[in-house]
Amino acid sequence: MPVTSYLALGAILFSIGLYGVLTKRNAVIVLFSIELMLNAANLNLVAFSKFGLHPSQVGQVFSLFSITVAAAEAAIGIAILFALYRNRGTVEADRMNSLKG
Amino acid sequence: MEKVLLDYDWTVMAPEIIIAAAAALLSLADLFLRENTDRRFFSWFSLAAVIAAIFFTVSRFGQQPYEILGDTYRVDDFALAFKTAVLSGVGLVFLLSAWGVRQEEIRFRGEYDYLLLAAALGAMIMTSSADLITLFVGLELLSISSYILAGIHRERYASNEAAWKYVVQGGVASAFILYGMSFVYGLTGSTNLYTIQQRLVEAYQTGYDAFVLLSLFLMLLGFGFKIASAPFHMWVPDVYQGAPTPVTSFLAVVSKTAAFALVLRIVLVGYIFLYQMQIWQQVVEPVLLVLAGLSMVIGNTAALHQTDTKRLLAYSSVAHAGYLLVPLSTLGAVLFESTFYYLIAYLVMTMGAFTVAALLEREAGHGNISGFAGLSRRSPGTAAAMTVFLLSLAGIPVTAGFFGKFYILMNALSTQHFWIAGIMVGTTVISYYYYFGIIRQMYFRPPASKDRMRVPMVPALLLVIGILGTVGLGVVPEWAVHWIGDLQWMSALTPLNAGPPGP
Repeated sequence: MPVTSYLALGAILFSIGLYGVLTKRNAVIVLFSIELMLNAANLNLVAFSKFGLHPSQVGQVFSLFSITVAAAEAAIGIAILFALYRNRGTVEADRMNSLKG
Repeated sequence: MEKVLLDYDWTVMAPEIIIAAAAALLSLADLFLRENTDRRFFSWFSLAAVIAAIFFTVSRFGQQPYEILGDTYRVDDFALAFKTAVLSGVGLVFLLSAWGVRQEEIRFRGEYDYLLLAAALGAMIMTSSADLITLFVGLELLSISSYILAGIHRERYASNEAAWKYVVQGGVASAFILYGMSFVYGLTGSTNLYTIQQRLVEAYQTGYDAFVLLSLFLMLLGFGFKIASAPFHMWVPDVYQGAPTPVTSFLAVVSKTAAFALVLRIVLVGYIFLYQMQIWQQVVEPVLLVLAGLSMVIGNTAALHQTDTKRLLAYSSVAHAGYLLVPLSTLGAVLFESTFYYLIAYLVMTMGAFTVAALLEREAGHGNISGFAGLSRRSPGTAAAMTVFLLSLAGIPVTAGFFGKFYILMNALSTQHFWIAGIMVGTTVISYYYYFGIIRQMYFRPPASKDRMRVPMVPALLLVIGILGTVGLGVVPEWAVHWIGDLQWMSALTPLNAGPPGP
């Protein structure tokens, strides 16, 4: 079944992304990793719109929407990182520990 | 005959159009106003827009369900009820912020109000979408606006850090939801929830059962984050503590209500066939009940040793997410009614508690629980109001919180789920300790200063609304229960025109 290879690639990308979010200390890499996870889902959507159980164009449309949303999310993430960097002068995620209880 | 643009009844979208227009207008006005112009009237304008939207939403009750925008947008009683709750919550947040943060800290910054309106629009889309694409876009509109709102104090490090933690963990949750949705699309070839309803059954019966369950659990992972349930609650205390108090109350009240509307809609419309095939009872229900139980235990025990008011309320919010998950997992006869009743009870009591927290934060200059010390002598009215809210959050009789918990408990018992009911009662008793800890501070600790605390008009109005809601829903719950019981909840689960499925 041709769809399997696409799904496998999607799953690998998603796992790499999740691993990156959970382990990386640099905040920019963390944002990249989230992008990987979202793009894994996009890959799935496009693959399914050709090889799914009921192939249709909707998957392509959905992926366009999710690409837009992912771009907005990345922009917000970078903007928040800028604000953080101005106040603290670092982008290391494990130095962000002022909130605890 | 082909329907054209004006053949549709656009008045069903009046609330959304009002909110979107108000947000657009304010963002334009913000551009044209001089930089040092006072922008506090933005909050009052937004509040007026929200009230108009509530009016149009409420006037729609009792009419037939209607679908618009290529059947992606659906106005039924389920959507209307949740939309009313969401809009009321947003209105109260605007009242709180009109007095609070807007007063001095971000007086010249207009974006706060239109971001809040955009977030409200996202929440409204989540309550009444019948399509995965619009649901996802609504969810992201709410989430992305909330990320910025959490970090609206650019110059404050705590606010930045809260926003950062929120955007990272929220992004991961969105990725999980989208990944789950992609499998739903792959199995059904459609993003319409009612087409999905039909085709998921076929997919399940033709050997794709593992993928159906995979899609459900991937989405539930993300939803667990959005409703702030354990074990996906790591962001909750940090974000609640670091964000400005009105934004925190927005996250606690509006985000949670909208997220529950989304979860109920997707899970019940898409996956209800699992219940008829007995798979729900074997696979889905235990998972959801474990999530609910974990949320109650973790939320209530972690709250025991908190010293920051907002952090304490954050853990209490995790615990309440646990209570709210019980009806969804056990699916009793009053599933919608008990969830919705609990959500409105939670709305009034939490808004009240956050109002008092905001008052004291401003008065004491910090968010520590010691700010409550001797409040009964400095402002007896505020102390009494806070006592009512805390009793309600703890679930003591003749308050809204008690009846809400009772309703959920009855539903759990009538469906023979005794162990979760046991955990619920047990953790409720644990929660008395930290709720009463605040009451002890207010009545039995000496105040830091002797002078009386002045309560301005707007927070006083919020406290009155909170008390009326909390006590009203607790003393005469039958009014609300009758009103909720008369709504056509089940119409949310069936397609509008039972014709052939769309492409």
